[in-house]
This record gives sequence, structure tokens and C-alpha cells, in this order.
Amino acid sequence: MSQTMQIGERETSLWGRLRLTIARRTEGRGVVLLAAVLIVVAFTEPLVFTSYQVSLGRIALIGLVALGLTAVILMGELDLSVASTLAVSGVVVALIPDIRLGIIAALVVGVLIGVVNAFFVAIVGINSFIATLGMLFALRGLAFVLSDEAPVKITDVEAGIAFGQPLIGPITPRVLIFILAFIAIQVFVSRVKAGREFFAVGGNRQAAYDAGIPVKRRIFTGFMISGFVAALAGVINTLERTAADPTAGATVLLASFAAAIIGGNYLKGGRGSIVGTLIGATALGVLQVALTLSGVQVPIQQIFIGGILLLAVTTDPANLRAVLGSVRSLRLGRSKLQTPGSGS
Amino acid sequence: MAKETLTEVIAVAETESAITKSKTSPLEWIAENGIFVFTALLILASVVFVDGFASLVNITDVFHRAAPIGIVAVGMTFVVISGNYLDLSVVAQVATSAVILIAVSNEYGLPLAMLAALLAAAVFGIVNGVAVGYFKANAVIVTLSTTYIGLGLLRYFSGGSIFFGPPDGLIREFGLGKLGPVPYSALVLLIMTIILGFVLNRTNFGFLVRSFGVNERATRLSGTNTAAVVIGAFLVTAVAAMVAGWVLAAFSNTAVSAMSQGYDFRALAAIIVGGTSVFGGKGSVLRTLVGVIFVSVLTNVLVLSGISFGYQQMALGALIVTAVTVDALSRKVAKR
Repeated sequence: MSQTMQIGERETSLWGRLRLTIARRTEGRGVVLLAAVLIVVAFTEPLVFTSYQVSLGRIALIGLVALGLTAVILMGELDLSVASTLAVSGVVVALIPDIRLGIIAALVVGVLIGVVNAFFVAIVGINSFIATLGMLFALRGLAFVLSDEAPVKITDVEAGIAFGQPLIGPITPRVLIFILAFIAIQVFVSRVKAGREFFAVGGNRQAAYDAGIPVKRRIFTGFMISGFVAALAGVINTLERTAADPTAGATVLLASFAAAIIGGNYLKGGRGSIVGTLIGATALGVLQVALTLSGVQVPIQQIFIGGILLLAVTTDPANLRAVLGSVRSLRLGRSKLQTPGSGS
Repeated sequence: MAKETLTEVIAVAETESAITKSKTSPLEWIAENGIFVFTALLILASVVFVDGFASLVNITDVFHRAAPIGIVAVGMTFVVISGNYLDLSVVAQVATSAVILIAVSNEYGLPLAMLAALLAAAVFGIVNGVAVGYFKANAVIVTLSTTYIGLGLLRYFSGGSIFFGPPDGLIREFGLGKLGPVPYSALVLLIMTIILGFVLNRTNFGFLVRSFGVNERATRLSGTNTAAVVIGAFLVTAVAAMVAGWVLAAFSNTAVSAMSQGYDFRALAAIIVGGTSVFGGKGSVLRTLVGVIFVSVLTNVLVLSGISFGYQQMALGALIVTAVTVDALSRKVAKR
């Protein structure tokens, strides 16, 4: 049916339209994982749903970092330094006595880290994996230096405790901030011109240049978003725990990468969705809480999250299509070689 | 035939670089040869200015610490040259090999322990290699996930406990053995460098690794099974990490899952500082050896000067970024 369809002709049947919509979306794997997690959890550990405040907090933590990553991944870049950005900004908040000033300083630090990352990627021309990996280690060192290699207590403990309390129902400030960040980034990449250009930069950089898109400036925007959001996550972490941990963020890195990638953001860039990141973060957050509640040891949890990340990155549709295509062409090529002139 | 086509590809690449070499800029010269000068200067300055550096005890200590990281680094050079960035999972691989060597040899003897460690290394290398080579997944993300899977498995099966080797025996003798001021472990590093240098420069496999790094597409179109080349590169890294785990376990005669923290990063620093390009195709095992010496001496000097862990970490991170920047800029200059 679809083979006889003309270009521009509209698919009118409900099933056809549905199929087209599904083909356009990239969240498929995230939805499957979320469904599987929810079904298994519903039968084995229903406590996750009754203690939804814990689950929401976890989803917000993973999701917030993953949101920032998504902005960068859409352009085909990667920001590994988010884990250390989180730690550094968390320490900065704790070090400055005035809490408002501390929050502002921490967020500024996050944006500055984004600027440095973007400088190495866009101006110097280093691969973002390596540049941000170097930053990951250097900033981890900075977090240790600033904190004197020990957790730092925040000065205004009262404010920190108040920050951890729910506002309305199960909505803690952390969850509220996550929801706001989600809406802001969703609107940015779908409605704002600069955000929509992220897809163009990731899809075909040369074409984006030729179309007059300021590619370098967009890369700066993306890394600044991911730095800012990671810093936000670091601030929230420190306030909720009333202390900053210089080693924070190492475990979040893995889960948020898994969330962003399984949510359907192609690592090569150009395709992906913020909603997918939300779906992925939900699946991983629920899974983590369920594992913790059922008393699964931390090493086993690591294996689970690591396994999901490995699965997510090996089933990246952009790669998988290329792999299947090369297998097919290989087979085609061989059959042609074997039967030359058979006219098949 | 495949090899002939590839030889042409490499020949073209070399002629191009020869053309640009006729007007080498200072930046390119630094990217190419700077490390040898810097290493010599660093050692000279350390001998003159740093108290306690030139003592026999300290030199042996530098060798002891450099050996396992160096062995990891010369192995990982294969992955970097093949253009697949790096293998972060060496952290898990070294710890796994060390724990297996001590724990299994306590129960079942050394030969079986070495066999078990080899098996574990093969699993690591094949999983990484298949995911990167066959599924074309990003090497950084793949090896990040296998790091956590590997460390998770290791912590689960070892219960996070420390394993102690027997007070005397082959492992202990090897770990403490010295040839003059040079411990056996440093000799292992030297032997690994020679073997892997031979593999990279003189064998068909090494040739394919380099050509894959120069031009992936040309290598594939010439009929090479590129997935196998990538799997091979990750296997070499895994085997080197296994040997590093043995050396590390023998030296301290203990093994614990957290013992190899930071190895990924130090090995990468050594490789990049040595002048092997993260863009793939360019570099050598010998350069990595020089990079290892540079990084080890630098770390030792920082420790001797009483500089804290945080600053050391920052310094090495900055070193990686600087070295990559020099490499990237020299490429830009060369293209002009």
C-alpha cells in the first residue's frame, strides 16, 4: 500500500496515520522499557507507586541532568563533564554563606563550564567526547580542591531542610524545578528558532552552515544549557542533603546518559525528543527506586543501569540501520558475485 | 589485493603529510616532537630542583607506579590509533584481573588463576569490540557502561572485600623482584612495549588497525572485516589490562575492586601526551611509553612537592586538554 503512495498524497486511514506517526517518533525503545519496568514493578514491588514521592525525586534527579545532555546530544555532541559540573556547583553553593548568592554563583559556574566546553569543541575543534572527558577529570579535581577533599556542610541548614519539604502534595521544589526545566527546554527546542536549529546542526552540520545557521553559536548555547542544568542539579542536591559531596554525580552520569539515549536521542545528532528523555528518565528512576526498595545490592543496581546503557547505545536506530544495511548489501553483493549474468 | 589498495591509501596520506611537512610550522613541530623535549626537560628539572627525586628508592617507586599504568596505556594505544577514542573500562579490567589472580590462585593455584583472568579479559574485549565494531556504537559510552557492569559484577562476587596473597610464593617474589634499581614490573612494561610495537608496525593486523584509524571507509571498501579489526584492538587492550592487573596485584600482594581507580584517565593522559592522535591513525606504542614516563614523573614530582590529590587531578585533566588542543590546532595549520 505504502509503495504505491504518491509523494504528497495524504494517508487517510486511521491505521496508516498511526503508523506514520510512529515511524516519525524516536521514543519507541523508551516506551518499551518504561512499559516493561512498570509492569514488572507493579507485580513485584508495588511500594514504588505508593511511595511516589521518592520515585518522583529520583526521576527528577536523573531527568534534570538528562535534559541538559539532550540539548547537546541533539547537535551530535556529548557532554561527559556534567557529573563533575554537578559536584563543583554543589560545593560552590555550600562554600558561600549567603544562600542566594551561593545559588547564583553556582549557576554562573555551571554556565562558564559550558562556555569552556563549547570553546574547545566549536573553536579549537576537539572532539566533544575527549574535550569533556578532560574537563570531567579536571573539574573533579577542582571539586576536591574547593572542598578540601571532604563533604562541606551548608551554612544555612534551616533553608536546606525547608527546601526538601513538599510544596503541594508530593511536589518538592526539586520536582517543580524539573517540571519547569522540562517545559522550558521542550518549548525551546520545538518553538524557538535557536532551539529548532539544534536539530539542523546535529542532522547535517555542513548544510546548517550553508543555510546560514550560526553553528558555533548554537554549540555554545547547547553546552551552556547542559552546564546550567547540571549546576542546577548540583545546587538541588546540596540543599536537600544540607551538605556538598565532592564525589557527587558519578552514579547520576550513567543513569542520565541511559535515560537520554534510550529515550530516542540519536548520538549522531539531528533526531531526538525531550519527551523521550522524560520517558527514559521515568523508566530508569522507577527501576532504581524499585531495586533499592527490594533490597537489591548497589553492585547489582550498577549492573542493571550499565546493562541498560549498553543496550541503549548498541540499539541506537541510526547505527542499527547502518549495520543492517551493510549486512544486506554484503549479502546482495555476494549473491551478485556468485551468479554473474544470471539476470536476477 | 585488499592490502595493496590500502597501501595506496596510506601512501597517499603519507605523501600529503610529506608535502605539508616541507613547511612545518612551530606548532606542528611541537605536536610532533615536543614530548621528547618536554620529558627530558622535566626529568632534568626534577633532578635539579626537587628534593628526593633522584634517590634510588624514589626512582624504584616511580618505576613501580608507572609499570601497571604504562602496560594499560601501551595496550589502549591500539584502540586510540584505530580511531575509537579510548577504552574507559580498563579500570574494571585491571581490578578484575588482579582480584581473580589473587583470589583464584589462593584456592586453585596460579595456572588456573591466570587462565580465569585471561577468560575475563577475553569477555571484556569481545563485548566492547562487538558493540563498537559491529554495532557501530560510540566507544566512550559503550566502555562507560561496561566499566559499571564489570565493576558491579566484581563487587558482587568479591563482596567488596580485600584479598591477600600468600606471604611467599611466585607472585610475591615477582612483585618484589628487581634487576638493579629496575623492578620486574618495569621490565614487563618494556617487553609489552616491544611486543605491541612489533604487532602494530610489522604485522598485518597492526597495519589494518592503523589504516582503519586513517580511513575507516577505505579500509572497509577494500574488503577488510573492519568489525574484526576493532574487536582485535579491544582484545589487545583487554590483554594488556590483564597483565597490568597481574603486575599490580603482585606488587601489593593484595587485590580489591577499587584498586585501579583513575587508570583510564592516567593511561589516556599518557597516550595523548605521547603524541598519539585522538583523531586516529597517527601514533605509536613507543610514544605512549614516553608519555607514560612524562605523566609518571610529573605525578611523582607533584606528590613529592606535597601537592594535594585535587590539584594533581586538575593538572592531569588540563594536560589532556592541552595536548589535544595542540594536536587539533596543528592539524588545522597543516590543512591550510
